[in-house]
Amino acid sequence: MKGGSFFMAKKWGLRVRNWMAQKMDLPQDVMMDLPRITMIGQIHIYIENHRGLITFTDKELRLLLKQGQLQIKGNSFVIKTILPEEILLEGKIDQVLYINENPGGTK
Amino acid sequence: MKNQWIEFLSGKVTVRVSGRGIERFLNVLIRNGLIIWNVKRHGTETVTFTMRLADALKIRKYARERECSITFLKRAGMPFLFKRLLKNSGFIGGAILFLLIIMFLSNVIWGIEIKGAKPATEYQIRKELDKMGVKIGKVQFFVDNVEGIQRNLTNNIGNLTWVGVELKGTTYHLQVVEKKEPEKPEQLAPRNLVAKKKAVISSMFVETGQKKVDINDHVQPGQVLVSGVIGKEGQTQQVAAVGEVWGETWYRSHVELPLETNFFVFNGQEKQKHSIILGNLEIPIWGFGEPEFKEYETDKNVKSIHFLKWELPISIGNETLRAREEITRTYTQKEAEKIAIDLAKNKIKNEVDEEAIIKDEKILHKELKNGKVILDIHFKIIENIAVGQPIPKETPE
Repeated sequence: MKGGSFFMAKKWGLRVRNWMAQKMDLPQDVMMDLPRITMIGQIHIYIENHRGLITFTDKELRLLLKQGQLQIKGNSFVIKTILPEEILLEGKIDQVLYINENPGGTK
Repeated sequence: MKNQWIEFLSGKVTVRVSGRGIERFLNVLIRNGLIIWNVKRHGTETVTFTMRLADALKIRKYARERECSITFLKRAGMPFLFKRLLKNSGFIGGAILFLLIIMFLSNVIWGIEIKGAKPATEYQIRKELDKMGVKIGKVQFFVDNVEGIQRNLTNNIGNLTWVGVELKGTTYHLQVVEKKEPEKPEQLAPRNLVAKKKAVISSMFVETGQKKVDINDHVQPGQVLVSGVIGKEGQTQQVAAVGEVWGETWYRSHVELPLETNFFVFNGQEKQKHSIILGNLEIPIWGFGEPEFKEYETDKNVKSIHFLKWELPISIGNETLRAREEITRTYTQKEAEKIAIDLAKNKIKNEVDEEAIIKDEKILHKELKNGKVILDIHFKIIENIAVGQPIPKETPE
């Protein structure tokens, strides 16, 4: 029961925040800990609020988010800058995919 | 984004990491505040990235905890540049030394050219210059400035009327005018000697020509003293009359001399100040503070540094502050009169020829007014009153 109540509390908090963000006209990314992605054409992508690297090759970048993962596909990737919560990727970007928590996936 | 140049200044290193779980390794680095950029993948097990030099030393610690091996590939930035610079310091030292030598040599006297002097005078000038330290191979800073050299030369060498000293680059050019130039033989045209002013003839010396006046004669200006027409009547011949006719002339002179005069004298105390002048900025390097004396005169001397033929905007300034004192000179009336007479004599001497003699002086009028001695003096002077005058051509031959 203890875990359940904790889960409930967490959900409750989330709802409050969501409500506040909507009613008080605050940016969603700040309130909700969502990633903020800026793309410049196909050549640059700038992601704020990520939680770390999972995979990096010259054709794929996978980032851990607060919820789920972000997958970026393309080719000749170079990480121009990487900071604890920000990343700037350069290359030719073909796809940006959100991968939601798959059942049985590691977190 | 980071500023590339700041990273360049502090130095940056390119690192190659190979092994497994590189992404996790990168995450660790980032969370620990190490800044990395330009991350590139090479194959399946290798990644390269760039990081700060200061952070590069810490990276081993994190690598040891994982199964990654690290190689440092490229070092760039100021610290490495500086290291290389030190390694090649010989070259830089050489270059600086080269510039310094050129600068030094640009400030050395390389030549002294003397123009317009006879060999004997030139030798004398060279000797005098040697004494002053103006020699080939000396540094210009330790030598008097151009005006000083000029003054010294004219003071110390008797037979120089004027010497122009000019510093062109590293060579001193001296333009000399000597007092006695070799006389050109005069080609005299037939002439008379006439009186140039009113006088009483006191003595005569006639070389050529016919004497027309006698001793103790009273002559008027323009009167013929010695005629250039000689020979018997009808067989006359025209020559240039040559000779000296000394006559007594009279001058009146008016002098005023105050009994009390104020003037400044240097009492010998002085203070030196040195400075480096960069454009308009003057940086004192020696001799600070106000001098301990109140009244002083400043003598400023600026020497510019040359580089080859150019003048650099840097110059070395030297200021001499000389203490002066105000002195009041007081004469008694008798002294003042004596000095006034001397003054009058000097004034007269400037007006007449060098050979003239003051025969007699007589005070006509003497007055003491407003603390001044006022004298009117009458001088009797014996001088050469003869001047040449061409004989008017009345009878063309």
